[in-house]
Amino acid sequence: MAQRAVWLISHEPGTPLCGTVRFSRRYPTVEKRARVFNGESYVPVPEDGPLLKALLFELRLLDDDKDFAESRDSCSHINKTSIYGLLVGGKELWPVVAFLKNGMIYACVPLVEQTLSPRPPLISISGISQGFELLFGIQDFLYLGQKNDTELYTKLSQLPDLLLQACPFGTLLDANLQNSLDSNNFASVTHPQKQPAWKAGIYKGKPQVSISITEKVKSMQYGKQDIADTWQVVGAVTCKCDLEGSMPNVTISLSLPTNGSPLQDILVHPCVTSLDSAILTSSSIDAMDDSAFSGPYKFPLTPPLESFNLCYYTSQLIGIFVFLGQKFPKSMEISLSGTVTFGAKSHEKQPFDQICIGGTAYLKLHFRILDYTLTGCYADQHSVQVFASGKPKISTYRKLISSDYYIWNSKAPAPVTYGSLVL
Amino acid sequence: MGPLSRENWAQRVATFRASPSAFMVGPEGEDLGRDLLSDLRSEKLSEQTKVSLLSLSLEYPAQLWPDAPAAEAAATSLLDTLVLLPPRPSALRRPLLLAATTALAAGGALGPTSGASRRLLPLLLGLAVGRDLGRGFGPASEQRPLQATACECLRELESCKPGLLGGCLGLLRGLMGQEGPIQPLSLLLALALRNTLVIKAKARAGLQGLLVAGNSLTEGSPWNWTLAEEGDAHLQPQAPSWSAAEEGECGLAVLEPSPEEARELRAAVAQLLDTSYLLTPAAQAQLLWLLGWAVRGLRGQPPVLFKPQLVRLLGTAQLTLLHAVLALKAAFGEALFTAQDEALLLRRLTLAAQHPALPLPAHLFYLHCLLSFPENWPLGPTGEEAVPLLLGSQLCRGLLPSLLHDPMALLARLHLLCLLCVEDEEKEEKGQDQSLRCYLEELLAGLRQRAALNGGPRALAILCFQASYLVVRCLAGQPMVLTPLTHGLTQLYRAQPALAPHFVDLLDRVGPELGEPLRVALRQEVVSRPGKDEALRWHLQMLAKVANEDAQSATLSFLQAAAAHCLDWGLQQALLQVCQALLRAGVGGGLADLLQVLARQLEDPDGRDHARLYYILLAHLSGPKLGMALGPSLAAPALASSLVAENQGFAAALMVQEAPAPIRLSIGPRRAEGPVPVLQLQVEVLEPVYSLELRFHVERQLYAPVGAVHVPCLCPGRPTSPLLLPLQPRRPAPARLDVRALYTTPTGLTCHAHLPPLPVNFADLFLPFPQPPEGAKVGFFEELWDSCLPEGTESQLWCPLGPHRLEALVSCHLEPFVVVAQAPTSYCIAIRLPPDSRLLLRLEAAHADGVPVALRTDDWAVLPLVGAYLRGLSAAV
Repeated sequence: MAQRAVWLISHEPGTPLCGTVRFSRRYPTVEKRARVFNGESYVPVPEDGPLLKALLFELRLLDDDKDFAESRDSCSHINKTSIYGLLVGGKELWPVVAFLKNGMIYACVPLVEQTLSPRPPLISISGISQGFELLFGIQDFLYLGQKNDTELYTKLSQLPDLLLQACPFGTLLDANLQNSLDSNNFASVTHPQKQPAWKAGIYKGKPQVSISITEKVKSMQYGKQDIADTWQVVGAVTCKCDLEGSMPNVTISLSLPTNGSPLQDILVHPCVTSLDSAILTSSSIDAMDDSAFSGPYKFPLTPPLESFNLCYYTSQLIGIFVFLGQKFPKSMEISLSGTVTFGAKSHEKQPFDQICIGGTAYLKLHFRILDYTLTGCYADQHSVQVFASGKPKISTYRKLISSDYYIWNSKAPAPVTYGSLVL
Repeated sequence: MGPLSRENWAQRVATFRASPSAFMVGPEGEDLGRDLLSDLRSEKLSEQTKVSLLSLSLEYPAQLWPDAPAAEAAATSLLDTLVLLPPRPSALRRPLLLAATTALAAGGALGPTSGASRRLLPLLLGLAVGRDLGRGFGPASEQRPLQATACECLRELESCKPGLLGGCLGLLRGLMGQEGPIQPLSLLLALALRNTLVIKAKARAGLQGLLVAGNSLTEGSPWNWTLAEEGDAHLQPQAPSWSAAEEGECGLAVLEPSPEEARELRAAVAQLLDTSYLLTPAAQAQLLWLLGWAVRGLRGQPPVLFKPQLVRLLGTAQLTLLHAVLALKAAFGEALFTAQDEALLLRRLTLAAQHPALPLPAHLFYLHCLLSFPENWPLGPTGEEAVPLLLGSQLCRGLLPSLLHDPMALLARLHLLCLLCVEDEEKEEKGQDQSLRCYLEELLAGLRQRAALNGGPRALAILCFQASYLVVRCLAGQPMVLTPLTHGLTQLYRAQPALAPHFVDLLDRVGPELGEPLRVALRQEVVSRPGKDEALRWHLQMLAKVANEDAQSATLSFLQAAAAHCLDWGLQQALLQVCQALLRAGVGGGLADLLQVLARQLEDPDGRDHARLYYILLAHLSGPKLGMALGPSLAAPALASSLVAENQGFAAALMVQEAPAPIRLSIGPRRAEGPVPVLQLQVEVLEPVYSLELRFHVERQLYAPVGAVHVPCLCPGRPTSPLLLPLQPRRPAPARLDVRALYTTPTGLTCHAHLPPLPVNFADLFLPFPQPPEGAKVGFFEELWDSCLPEGTESQLWCPLGPHRLEALVSCHLEPFVVVAQAPTSYCIAIRLPPDSRLLLRLEAAHADGVPVALRTDDWAVLPLVGAYLRGLSAAV
């Protein structure tokens, strides 16, 4: 379950190498184990230069991919996960976990504790999920709250020290790098017994709890007989609990109004200590889930120091209304007028659109409504129970944002999902 | 060299990191490791610089200290540096501990004889248990991070040398209840416990109270290496094998602890699990993998210990935690997960694989986990991706692909869709099948539409062909899917001939189910539209792949029309490639005409030459040989251009190769008849040989030149009739025939070989005289006898033979030449020696101990040969 090496590579199209290694870390003790475990099939981790080239080639991020290259473009060369084999020095380095996000390539090589030929199934390699978690952790650290490039470079320069804390020997201790950064600052505080590893220190100050519910609504509206329009709400509940004591117990409840649409597909933060089975089983994948558990949704937990995502949920809505203007008309119909202008065709290279072909076209709606949720989901003063000294100040926020809200040209074909086909 | 400045080091480290191998062979390479160790004690460098030097040593110990003694020395130096640090807070203590550990473990120096190991291990253990090591180890505030670091170092050493901490289990367990960083201690204990169980199980030994032993390790007492040496043979994989079928391999199944040990073990595992929520998710996952595989092999240890953790874990979206739950599922199956639990786990995975709050790489991994799900009662073959039984197509609705998906997600979901289609096909009722298949068809059509766009990125074409390939692989047996796919792909080619390389690739990869109809459809598509534009190049490339002996005339007329437009070298070569493909397919007549036209008409001399060459080959070589001549050359390096490869193919196929012969020749029984002596040759071959031509050369021109012998085909083990080789001696003398063989191997190469020379003996030349009528024999012989003199010569020999042996000798060797016989004592023998000599023998009045032989010949030159022959005979009989 260890990693042999980790890289961060910025993708720079147009430059000679098309990328630069921003950070790399190798783990020689793990490499030594890899040599023993992999035996004949062992392929050493390459130096940064060859790795950069091989990875960019495999991810199709080099500028020279205009022509057909069989080793990369063959129809049988199919990747269905973010795990690759890289051709380095005539041998294939596998498995390499890698993905591109915001112009940065995150990559690592998990240790496989057996021979690589035949290749063991990915699901049996513990280092794969550990590798993903490490890379996600680095990504969160670099981009959460980051505003500009200078800040990114500052954070990049902190990585070597942070990884020395969070992953000193290639075995991941904590994917939350912010926690590692904080633990440096809390170093002098005495630690009581049972101090959770995910909590760097103890809060001192006025007790307060803040809960913020953000819902994003996605929609596909086709205006066609044989295709159903779809709406989906995705909610994220973010909390910050500033409470004294090493392990304060808190229960946060989310409530729905009487006719609220039930929350489904609930994923919780690991600090939630127990979960009602109704919460665990309520899911959108059952066509007929009429358990219709409509809350309240209780989450007992021991909060970490920093702000955390208490839970995510989804909800299926059948037809929604978006209020435009002050009053809703009696006809229960609204119209939205807009003008589409077509500028002169520019001679510069236009980004290629693979969706809008022929008459296929869409409108994308962007809107934001404060102090409102589509599901009606809310938290209030009574939603928080704290089993610790002092009555905390509780603040709650709600917000609805549009995300992927598409209205398709009903006169032309539009891409559909299986679920929206009226069968 | 004195200490380097901060800037110097920064530059040096940067150069090294850019390419360690290049740096190490450079002038500074040799000194780097030594400089680094000495400058760690320099007072001029800041702690920050020193930390960066230690980071370098953490990553590249093998380059800095390439062998075990160097690693041992480095670890010693690092430990010395650590001890010499002043007692104030320092950022160097942690990295120094890590660096010393790395140097020992990575350098292969860890062991009972290593001085550095004997210093480091007690130091780490002392720090881990919170023993007061004196003010030298920094202020109190540093103790807790150092304690955690020491645990991590010990864990790494235990990973590299399983069993190292076997003697400290009781001590570590005792620490769990006390103050101390919970995560490093838990992970350390879990690993040490698991490794100890594996080693003990392999040695078929009990735990021997290891779990309850107190602090046996007092200061100064030597480290206990016993268990580490027992376990030294293998590193321990933390999840030895995934499938429950391979249980034996993990080796744990044999350990049967005593009831008391079992109780202690259960208590230790329960204690670790109970406090696991205090660990970070990544560490919790590691703990579960370790304990899961530790408990799995122990008889009488029910996995129910894990149950309280599961609900909490199933609710999270953490990749590591759900993966660890899957590992428990794989390890324990039904013992931990009832059918209902399995269904719940599948539902959680299914929703995680599509949850909008999770990133794409997580979705893809969850989807992989779904299709490789460790089911309680798997139906299909293990190791193949399949839709779990409890996951019906209804539950998968949200996981089906759409054109809006990212390519990887689309392919992963398309695979699922294909598997569902297969499943529906196998079922009795085919209700949903229809809609799933229609959806699949529409999706593929959408992909083709995008691939057909002008100026679109190649990625769209790649995706379309990958999807088509995936569908063919999964649904090869379903004509309902393949027919529209063939049709759609043909239309795609019509719209975008520039995708020809993708079509060629697809045809190379798919089986005949799609390959055959697609080939036919594409050929029709190409030849039915004479092209003279941009697309001609692609049409020719396509045709080179799909042309064969079918629809010859359409193909040839397309090529004839195209030839007029092939003005540049590239197009001409493409045209010739198609001709080559037709040649290989055995197309004859019309092609010869076309090639002749091309040989005259093409502008480029290279093109003309090629056309002429193909024409010559077509006109002169038989079908199989032609195939070989045009086939890819095995000798050609993979990267050589096709022209080079083709030329090498010609060269190999058309040149005669010198080779050791797989042929053995011998001379069979003599046949004394006919006008000239004839050798009967027996041929044996070790491998099939075709078109064999044997050429003979007579030494010293004793005989007239011998004609070559041709054999069409010879196979090992198959009897062959003897080859007859007539000789025309110029003199009646023995000779040696020099033999060379020319033949074609089964791989089509023409080979040439020298065979061992064939000796022609004197007796091989003997021929009988025509038999005179009965009654005239004596007179005939006497007439011959008298005619030899006076030109000839006469001689007497004594053959030491008894009368019975004489009879045997005559019947064996001279039977055909006997004219008058009074067996067993008297024979008159007349031998014709070509070209025109005679030899007459009288063997008469045999005595008890020998026979006097009177001989006459008209060629006195043969006398010594006759003498030698007769002496040889009588010696042999």
